[in-house]
Amino acid sequence: MKVIGADVGGTFTDLIFSDLSTGALGIHKVSTTPDDPARGVMEGIIALCAMNDVAPSQIDHVFHGTTTATNAVLEGRGARTGMITNDGFRDILHIGRHQRVEHYSIMQELPWQNRALIRRQHRKTVAGRLIPPTGAELVPLDEDGVRIAARELRAEGVESVAICFLFSYLDPRHELRAKEIVEQEMPDAFVTTSSSVSPQFREFERFTTAALAAFVGPLVGRYITGLDEALRGIGIRGDLRIMASNGGVATPAMVKEKPALTLQSGLAAGVLGGGWIGEQAGRSKLITFDIGGTSADIGIVMDGVFAETDSRSTSIAGFPLLMPMLDIHTIGAGGGSIAHVDRGGAFRVGPQSAGAVPGPAAYGRGGTAPTVTDANIVLGRLAADDFLGGDMGLDADAAHHVINTLAAQLGLDPLDTAEGILTILNANMANTIRSRTVQKGIDPRGFALVAMGGAGPLQGAAVAAILSIPEVIVPPYPGITSAMGLLTTDLKYDAIRTQFQISTALDSSRIGQDCDAMLTELSSRFAKDGVADETYTRSGDLRYVGQGYELKIPLPDGTVTAQSMQQVWDAFHAAHVAEYGHAFPDSPIEVVNIRLTGIGRLPKLAATAAPAGGSLEASLIRTSACVFRGDDGLASHDTPIYRRETLPVDTPFNGPAIVVQKDSTTLIPPGAIASVHPSGCIIITLEKAQ
Amino acid sequence: MTRIDPITAAVIQGALENIAIEMGHKLMRMSYSSIIRESEDFGAALTDATGRQMCECKMSTPLQSGPIPGYIQNVIQVLAQRNDPVRPGDVIMHNDPYGGASHGPDVAFCVPVFVNDNLIGWSVTTAHHLDIGALSPGSCGIVDAVDTYAEGLQFKAIKVIDQGRRIEPVWQILRDNIRASDLVVGDMEAQIEAARIGAARFVALVKANGLATVTAAFEDLMDYSERLMRDAIRALPDGDYTATTYLDGYLDDPDPTRRDLPLVVTLRVRGDTLAVDLTGTAPQLPDKPVNMPLIGTVDCAVWLTIRSILLDSVTYGAIPQNSGLTRPISIIAPRGCLANPIFPAPVIARFCSGNQLADTVMKALAQVVPHQVSAGIGNLRVVAISGLNEGNHWVHMEIMEGSYGGRFGMDGMDAVDTLYANTRNNPVEDIESHIPLRVERYELREDRIAPGQWRGGIGTIREFTFLDDAGFSLEGDGHAYRPWGFDGGATGHVASLTLQTADGSERALPSKVPYFKVKAGDRLISCGPCGAGYGDPLLRDPDAVASDVADGLIPAGTALRDFAVVLRDGAVDTKATDAARRSRG
Repeated sequence: MKVIGADVGGTFTDLIFSDLSTGALGIHKVSTTPDDPARGVMEGIIALCAMNDVAPSQIDHVFHGTTTATNAVLEGRGARTGMITNDGFRDILHIGRHQRVEHYSIMQELPWQNRALIRRQHRKTVAGRLIPPTGAELVPLDEDGVRIAARELRAEGVESVAICFLFSYLDPRHELRAKEIVEQEMPDAFVTTSSSVSPQFREFERFTTAALAAFVGPLVGRYITGLDEALRGIGIRGDLRIMASNGGVATPAMVKEKPALTLQSGLAAGVLGGGWIGEQAGRSKLITFDIGGTSADIGIVMDGVFAETDSRSTSIAGFPLLMPMLDIHTIGAGGGSIAHVDRGGAFRVGPQSAGAVPGPAAYGRGGTAPTVTDANIVLGRLAADDFLGGDMGLDADAAHHVINTLAAQLGLDPLDTAEGILTILNANMANTIRSRTVQKGIDPRGFALVAMGGAGPLQGAAVAAILSIPEVIVPPYPGITSAMGLLTTDLKYDAIRTQFQISTALDSSRIGQDCDAMLTELSSRFAKDGVADETYTRSGDLRYVGQGYELKIPLPDGTVTAQSMQQVWDAFHAAHVAEYGHAFPDSPIEVVNIRLTGIGRLPKLAATAAPAGGSLEASLIRTSACVFRGDDGLASHDTPIYRRETLPVDTPFNGPAIVVQKDSTTLIPPGAIASVHPSGCIIITLEKAQ
Repeated sequence: MTRIDPITAAVIQGALENIAIEMGHKLMRMSYSSIIRESEDFGAALTDATGRQMCECKMSTPLQSGPIPGYIQNVIQVLAQRNDPVRPGDVIMHNDPYGGASHGPDVAFCVPVFVNDNLIGWSVTTAHHLDIGALSPGSCGIVDAVDTYAEGLQFKAIKVIDQGRRIEPVWQILRDNIRASDLVVGDMEAQIEAARIGAARFVALVKANGLATVTAAFEDLMDYSERLMRDAIRALPDGDYTATTYLDGYLDDPDPTRRDLPLVVTLRVRGDTLAVDLTGTAPQLPDKPVNMPLIGTVDCAVWLTIRSILLDSVTYGAIPQNSGLTRPISIIAPRGCLANPIFPAPVIARFCSGNQLADTVMKALAQVVPHQVSAGIGNLRVVAISGLNEGNHWVHMEIMEGSYGGRFGMDGMDAVDTLYANTRNNPVEDIESHIPLRVERYELREDRIAPGQWRGGIGTIREFTFLDDAGFSLEGDGHAYRPWGFDGGATGHVASLTLQTADGSERALPSKVPYFKVKAGDRLISCGPCGAGYGDPLLRDPDAVASDVADGLIPAGTALRDFAVVLRDGAVDTKATDAARRSRG
């Protein structure tokens, strides 16, 4: 079986080919073509096939990570979108939660008002009202009103419609009927309902999620259709599979119906790739740490399970997004982050970034601000000759110049300044990892850090040391871990049913019936996709009665009974202790939602292996002076620089050392020990952390 | 200048902020009542041993975290007077509005932080509780309390846990004297847990870095915030700048001294210091609770407004909120005025007074930094709704949003919390799922735009129908006085509240309504205030006017009347508009 992964990033589109039967692997990188990302993807696929001597017709699957939906939202380039909602509630999207973004600002913008997804003139209201607790009909739907609204929207040039009614998560019938009518009146429009996008309570968040889906729907649909056709055009007969925010892939039909699935597509693949690599190295508790030029993305994997966000913590461009997503935390800290002295005289690193253009001063593209990359050069950790395999020279003088200028401003020595930039950067990153681990009751000391992205392997060991994480794993190709992640996915679909049931008066048969209904929903979806080998897991969103935030707890398989639910209550109390340090064992528990996740197995990337042979001696390029902080302050160390491709397996070497390869540079600090694992990963063991 | 190198300072700052965020995160998720978990009316902060604030949680509302130093300073004082030492394992409850608290319902739980038996600081959470045992159900809308005793239970540095041992009688008093006590006590437990987590993290930070380093970093952080504030004040021309606005007071009260209450602010800029003189503000109302505690409400209103304008976070980024920021600012409030009441004058309904004071500070600053302010804001109002279900109380509180005035280069924000508050509304789907209330409408008001080159923000209209017999009360303002227009912009629009009874009769209610019984089928209609306009409306971009017409916010007739914009088929008729504007100019 032959597969291709194509991951579109801001600057580059990364491609990977693998023959799963032989384990053969080929990688390629092309420039992203922002006006039509499919062009770059196709160029890359054609080249990749040629490089690996494989005919497009032999490719069985193409896996794709896309930023089309994300960019449409970030740049406000979506469809002209309309909405049909209840009388009396025209402005739910505009009022939001009536909370400002910033506490201490008069001149701030509110994204939902200043960058509205749906203008008020395209928000139509109709009579019709359902009420809790069961979704009973208080006022019947005004079907003529829906028809009139749809005609108005069509006349206004609207090409996409979100249908959003209160309490539709309890009963979608009004939304579904309105959708039928709108589709009759607007046959070419994209039409979605809030209950199909995310059947959960909290109307602003649900309506906004539906509005986001409608906003990106036509664009995503055209993009996927175009790409699919282009693939057929070069003779590829295999299936296209698109990365979704929940960490699975979806079919083109599914993505066209539910485009919001792809809003965090780009980030998910990175975490998957990190998780897969960690598993190759035999580690099951992982923190994936992906540093690029402008940002760092952090994810958590435990025993093959990827942490998911709770539904209240996710947003895109300031809009809440009520969807199952991998818990990926992004901070504005990367190789291009700019170090500066702010107005109050404090030393800051980021969040502003020099990006790829102009980039760090050392890129020689006109950058004049000192960046993290410049600091690494000044400390001797990035060598001009080795950067991007020597394809791109670095201007070390320029790096020294900008760091010297900053040092003068701070009244510090230039080396202290450079090292300080990294210390602040690493502390910021460690704080973020702490917020995803320690603050959720997870002890990072039992984890390994997977350092990836172009800049991850340079900072990984230092960040791990701050958190007392004992091990750092550097993947064989740190720069294309996201693309590799695409080749490790399964089809993954989620279903959800709101319950609002309380442990003291539980109707377990209703939970059982809803589980069955979700199973029918998902299995028919998989049947359509031609998947036979599928598995399901149940879970519930639980909280103590009265609380507003839920914890996700596994639900046992089989018939739901009072006995089987007792396990669930116990598990909830335990999870509450783990997450918050405390439980309220006498309080009744509320089941807010139940969920079913279906996984349709797909073929996976074969294990990687380090090239055989090689020796430390043969790998040694030279020895250079690098600066590190020790107990007595900064000191220069003679540091061997090794070529990664020829490092021997299972042969430990001591830090300080630097390992260079085309897409990244790995730093092993003094006191640490590194060794190439048979999987090809470098594993850095930190002495101090043990 | 600095005590410590800038690198360590940056590292410690990040760690401190991270601790405060974790405290708030956990409190929000563990708490039971919607006023905390949905409205986010809570605070979390660490202070040093003397009560100087080191960091606060970004998610908390400013009026909750801001007062924490005042709580701690008073707790320390009271315990010392009582000769009651602070020991490891203690948890102290405090809500004395004459001892640092913002008002009684905002109860603090204070965990002293010890390293090697030395008190090094405090970890504190505050939260607005649903009920605190006052004369009527709920903890807002108590606009008729005659003195502090009528406002509910007063906790003056009460140990609820003493060296790790729960003081059960205190907890029993809470359960017996507070309505909906399951929720309230549950929220209090959550507060204690969150504060304890903060304390544990604080200890770990000190152990990892040494107390001297952490203290030095914190002192530097305070200096840093102070320096930014002094620089901003120094950039203002020396001088005195005065502004006055008015509170409604009790509009239906026969006693005229309880109505039309002036708030007067004079800013005295001298070099890098700023004195805020409230002389001229109305005398306190001795038996009506709209008086504002000087420490806990007045100081926060003043500080927050000044920092939001002079150090706007959109321009300045996140500046550490700590005690350094307030060092260059002094407040003068004559004793016995609304802004410095004398015990036991009641204060529980000080929310609107304080926010109007914040608006008055902004009006004074508008004279100096006109490009950094908004025109007059629409104030907030809080409604408490309560009833009995099988002998148990249910209580719901809803903060009803206001709106901002127009700003230089930007329209006013529509339908948001203003100035010193920043809470969240309750989802309609949450309200109807939990209390016998039907929400009939929640929209922007139409044809209520305050004209200006940059128009005022628009308030909301909300309609509620009671499904069961219940009671409600309103704590509001801004039913009589319109938000102030700026630089040629028009004044904004007042708020209103109307009760429609099931028999069809209607009555307009004033901005303060004490506990009021309603029947199933009765309906409340609330119109929120609309912020004022900024700049000459005849200079407004005609396309922006056309856009508001297309969006159904104003009719075409209003576009012509207020902005002299002529529309043809929805688009601007440029020639006719120019002519119309010339004839008016």
